[in-house]
Amino acid sequence: MVLSSMMSRFLSVVGCLLGLLVSVSAQPARREVVFWGLSMGPDSKGQDAVLREFERRNPDLKIKLLSMGAGRMDPQKLMTSIVGNVAPDVISQDRFTISDWASRGAFLSLNDYIAKDKGKDPLCPTPDQYYPATWAEAQYEGQTYAIPTGADNRVLYWNRKIFKESESELVRNGCDPTRPPRTWSELLKYSKAITKLDKNGRLIRAGFMPNFGNSWLYMFAFMNNAAFLSKDGKKCTMDTPEAREALDFMVEGYKIVGGYENSEKFKSGFQGKENDPFILGQVAMKIDGEWILNDLARYSPSLDFQCAPPPVPDDRYNKIGRFKEEKDQFITWVGGSSLAIPKGARNPDDAWRFIKFMTSKEGRMIEYSAQAAWEKLRDRTFMPRQMAHKEGNEEASERFAPKFGNYGQALAMHTEMANYSRIRPATFVGQLIWQEHVRAMEAACFGKESSQKALASAQANVQRDLDAFHNKSQYPVIDLRLPGLVGVLGLAGFIGFFVWQFKRERIGKLERQEAKWAYLFISPWVIGFMLLTIGPMMASLFFTFTQWDVLNEARWVGLKNYQDMFGSDWKMVSKALGNAAYLAGVGVPLGLMTGLLVALLLNAAARGIRGYRTIFYLPAIVPGIASAVLWSWVLNPEPVKGLINAYWNVTLTPWMGIQPPGWIQSAEWCKPALILMGLWGAGSGMVLWLAGLKGVPTSLYEAASLDGADAKQTFWSITFPHLTPLVFFNTVMGFIGSLQEFDRVYVMRPSLDGPVGPDDSMMTPVYMLFNNGFGLFKMGYASALAWLVFVIVVMITFMQFKLKDRWVHEEVK
Amino acid sequence: MPSGTLFAVGVLASWLAIFFGLKMVGRLFFIGTRQLDSDPSRTRVDLLSNTILTAVLAVIGVVLTKPFVSGMFKLPLVWFVMPWTAWLAAACTGLIITRLIQSTTSISAEERTHKLKAAFGLFIAALVFTGLYLSDPTNKITIIEGGVPFSLLGLVGVLAIAIAAVGAMVVTAHSANARGLGKTIITQLALLAGSVVFGVPFVFLLVTSFKEDKDMSSPNGIVWIPRVTETVPYLSPDKAKKHFEATFEGKTVEGLEIGEEGGKVKIDIFKPISIRGTTFLVDRAELKEVPVQAKVYTAKVGNEIIKGFESDSLADGSRVLKVLEPDSRKGTTVTVSPDQTEAVRHVGLRTENYSEALSYLPPETLNGLVYVKNTLILVVMNVVGTILGSSIVAYAFSRMKFPGKEKMFSILLATMMLPGAITLLPQFLIFRTLGWIDTLYPLWVPAFFGSAFNIFLLRQFFSQIPMELEDAAKIDGCTYVKTFWSIMIPQIKPALAVIAIWTFMGAWNNFMGPLIYINSPENMPLSYSLALFKGDRSGEPGLLMAFSTLTVIPVVALFAFAQRYFIEGVTLSGLGGR
Repeated sequence: MVLSSMMSRFLSVVGCLLGLLVSVSAQPARREVVFWGLSMGPDSKGQDAVLREFERRNPDLKIKLLSMGAGRMDPQKLMTSIVGNVAPDVISQDRFTISDWASRGAFLSLNDYIAKDKGKDPLCPTPDQYYPATWAEAQYEGQTYAIPTGADNRVLYWNRKIFKESESELVRNGCDPTRPPRTWSELLKYSKAITKLDKNGRLIRAGFMPNFGNSWLYMFAFMNNAAFLSKDGKKCTMDTPEAREALDFMVEGYKIVGGYENSEKFKSGFQGKENDPFILGQVAMKIDGEWILNDLARYSPSLDFQCAPPPVPDDRYNKIGRFKEEKDQFITWVGGSSLAIPKGARNPDDAWRFIKFMTSKEGRMIEYSAQAAWEKLRDRTFMPRQMAHKEGNEEASERFAPKFGNYGQALAMHTEMANYSRIRPATFVGQLIWQEHVRAMEAACFGKESSQKALASAQANVQRDLDAFHNKSQYPVIDLRLPGLVGVLGLAGFIGFFVWQFKRERIGKLERQEAKWAYLFISPWVIGFMLLTIGPMMASLFFTFTQWDVLNEARWVGLKNYQDMFGSDWKMVSKALGNAAYLAGVGVPLGLMTGLLVALLLNAAARGIRGYRTIFYLPAIVPGIASAVLWSWVLNPEPVKGLINAYWNVTLTPWMGIQPPGWIQSAEWCKPALILMGLWGAGSGMVLWLAGLKGVPTSLYEAASLDGADAKQTFWSITFPHLTPLVFFNTVMGFIGSLQEFDRVYVMRPSLDGPVGPDDSMMTPVYMLFNNGFGLFKMGYASALAWLVFVIVVMITFMQFKLKDRWVHEEVK
Repeated sequence: MPSGTLFAVGVLASWLAIFFGLKMVGRLFFIGTRQLDSDPSRTRVDLLSNTILTAVLAVIGVVLTKPFVSGMFKLPLVWFVMPWTAWLAAACTGLIITRLIQSTTSISAEERTHKLKAAFGLFIAALVFTGLYLSDPTNKITIIEGGVPFSLLGLVGVLAIAIAAVGAMVVTAHSANARGLGKTIITQLALLAGSVVFGVPFVFLLVTSFKEDKDMSSPNGIVWIPRVTETVPYLSPDKAKKHFEATFEGKTVEGLEIGEEGGKVKIDIFKPISIRGTTFLVDRAELKEVPVQAKVYTAKVGNEIIKGFESDSLADGSRVLKVLEPDSRKGTTVTVSPDQTEAVRHVGLRTENYSEALSYLPPETLNGLVYVKNTLILVVMNVVGTILGSSIVAYAFSRMKFPGKEKMFSILLATMMLPGAITLLPQFLIFRTLGWIDTLYPLWVPAFFGSAFNIFLLRQFFSQIPMELEDAAKIDGCTYVKTFWSIMIPQIKPALAVIAIWTFMGAWNNFMGPLIYINSPENMPLSYSLALFKGDRSGEPGLLMAFSTLTVIPVVALFAFAQRYFIEGVTLSGLGGR
């Protein structure tokens, strides 16, 4: 009754909602152009305007927007949608990843469209309209796959006020306080003079944090003439003396500000735009893009800052040694987005119409003037962003650059530096190089590895994929219909054999009748087992011997995936397994103990047990994602924000002198943070324990107290043995659960790409599988990982069952 | 001995002194209330020795830890920062000592050898760990010295430690010799403390969802009482800043006037957010001006403190205040720089966090209603599917005879522990072939095939139903389907309710499924939309917590109604006791 009434209520609610939806969606039919990857907010008036204008000019079309997480396209989402044939029509995509997508045939080539419209349609983009570097970045093997939009380069921002304040320190260190540093060694000297640490080593004011803002290793590597890829695109050259030098420079830079972790903690304390430490005057210099001008003008219009070319290696500046023949004294790097059409887009022609308008000078000007008008209305300064369209960029700078403060100078510096910008290698492993370069940078800055080792392992990882791509012809193409057919035939044979066996069975008519019904009844499970369990398992096993990205043909590679797993990728695999082992080995026992403690307390208390039980149990029912969202704030490392650190800061810090930990921002505290969060949900275990405790016969306790047993003896000889089956069940499930930890890690990881948690300290086996399978679509390798997880789970289960006999108490029935 | 070690010894002595001191006080209290000991002279000796012990320990503690250094009393604390090998070695050493002591007090020779053997085993382990510790030259032990000052917070901290310690003692002394009022009080205190710990994140969630941005970070620690800025309705004389209400495509919208065209006014919509940026033309007569909610500030002008609302803000950031108080200057305006002003705030809830959070959702989700609809579809279909699929299979396995039953059932048991990871990729490919990507089907259709765990569970329940019922039905000529549906199902309703609730939770929480299969907002369930929302608005905890709260409420509501099934489900499952 409970069920049926509950269900009928649910159904009626669903019915109402459905009705509501139908009534709302009855609108005239316009073709939809689905557009992903733009971040729309109340302040993105320019984008709004250009979209509306496009819709006005094209009454047959309607733009449907979806921003996937902070306006940034999630590669996993895009790939699943392309593979699943539900791709969007237009996608705003980081330009340096275009080659990656193009190489997999995931984007449409725009060459035909451009050729068709060239000279006929004034909106049609042509290469000569764009800065060459930006156009080149969207090419792959001679085809154009995307049309560039933005063109952001990085320059040095320096706070003149801080320089003035630190005049004496600067002069003492031999620095000129009236100008910014020009070379790396100067930069370090300036930073040293300006940086202030408190007695606990925490940052009060930072001179220069190498990767604060937007420089990454790429920037410094480019300056030092390091290329991450050989000219022919077949060799990854990350581990070169030039790149090592650049990375060593970053490590050195971090040492000055008290180490990488320290500066990350400092950084994470300033979430939100107006809280940027540069704006607040707590960082003297940073390398960043022109997007920060907007916030500067808005939140601290009177900040006395200036822009300068980013400092370069001393030899480059002096044009000696390796740089003798060098043309450019200062260089920077340029990135930005572009619009592309994914393969499988439903309306590619309409999408092209949209891209043409959106990227044209006319479209960009509509966008800029609408945004400018909006900012003016609210008395804010409009900062024109740099665009890849050359003519448009020049016109925008002329029309919109603010005429006060240092903003004009700053914008001019950016426009100037655009001529000396480098791009990241346009290669299909662009995304991977990026991820690996971030990983190497972190590992070196954390001091976990020497820069040589970090870069070498990054290089090896990239090279593996390069080789896999370039050498793929050595592996035979395999038609997947063949194993599929074998599978179907096998299944049919099995069923046939079963039916034959059943026919031969000597049973009576009635029993035969019963068996037939029984087979019908269990058929859902049997079908599910065949189609969703054993079939996929066999398929997965088969995939482990192949290299397949779903979009292109599969190739038989034999044991290569396993070789990679235990060879070149073993570092990451072992890290993921190690993390899982940590979570299981520390987290599971702690969780069990917490649950047991609470249960014992509850069992001892007579009054209010229901109320307490509810409170302790509630966290266990909070949906996992909501609890991850909540805990990412509870665990915020900054004492003024995070719940735990706020109290840590007023208790343990003054009492013991222990600084609050960085929790998920720190490699060391990441997993304890996850475990702590898990303990909050220990209530589900508690209920289990309570039920177990209630099941211990009271007669045993009476007997024990008659025999004069003390509390400890009673617990260990009576209570605990009765609970051992529970301990057993929970340990097995807990271990299997930690191996498959995914949701929390996905939601809580501090950065969206690169390492999962600082120094990959949150990487778990299933996360790795997910990333390889749905992020990179390496079906073969991901399947091998899946089988690794499977084998480990089977082994753990088997071992636990073996050990079980030794300590689990089971009553003789 | 290094000073750190001496300090550690001092800390131990201090805390032991406190322990014995408290024990003595308790003893005296009991002597005062009722005579426990039959031998008063022994009590006296006990008390005396206890006093001496306490005093000696206290002196050692005071000498070694110098608690009065800066004129303020500090209860000493110590912590060892050392690698896990050192911790294990220390733990082994501690256990060796207890085993050795136990061996001297054992009653039988057999027990003594047993204890000594255990001590020897631990000794080997300690040696191994010490060796491991020494093998890495970078290992070192740091002793952190500290102390709890005698302040309110310090007192609370010490009290918490004490409650935890005594609570742990009560736990181990479970239902044995610890009895009486003292035990009850301490248990209740420990439970209360635990409830606070478990409840605080919840309260934090709720409070944060009602806080203004200003209260999100505060140098004085966490803000627990939300406050809101006072506003007054204001009709701005500045044409560009007037807010107008008008009707656009049948909806009431708010917007700004951005120009005139052909005798009509051009309005730029900013509310509702879902169609913001749309401009339209409207007759001036149809416009209705709505007041702007102007923030109230206090500011110091000269020697006077004035209170006024912000009627305008200038390009350099300074605020134009229209004075409300004092009366002598009422109605006049002053221009002040922002750092001279302070917002007037009173205790209250910022409920706008909720409406704003919803208005930021994509317009096609109708303020999140579509998310709710999708989640409900998933929940209902999963619950129905699991119950139907699992129970019918379980019925066949428990009550019907057929060849191959045992073998099949053991296969079913084997799949119980199967990690989902292994079938993840191929299942995606299967659903892709079916064209089910970006639909809800992959998220509920599998439920109809039954799940191994639930089948196993329900089989246990079916087995407990007496055979007679079924036989009677058979004699009455019931078909198998009818027997299953009308006789057997009603018998296992409680178990079904529990499974329904588990499935509900599973479907409500499912994150990886939607993450892989769902792309468009129209098909997203709540859990996934929350993760996306976090990505979009991670800098705005107020909105984030408001949206989180909205996703939590339905589950908590269900819990409130069906708490019995949640909690007792465990017992029903047979996993709890037997």
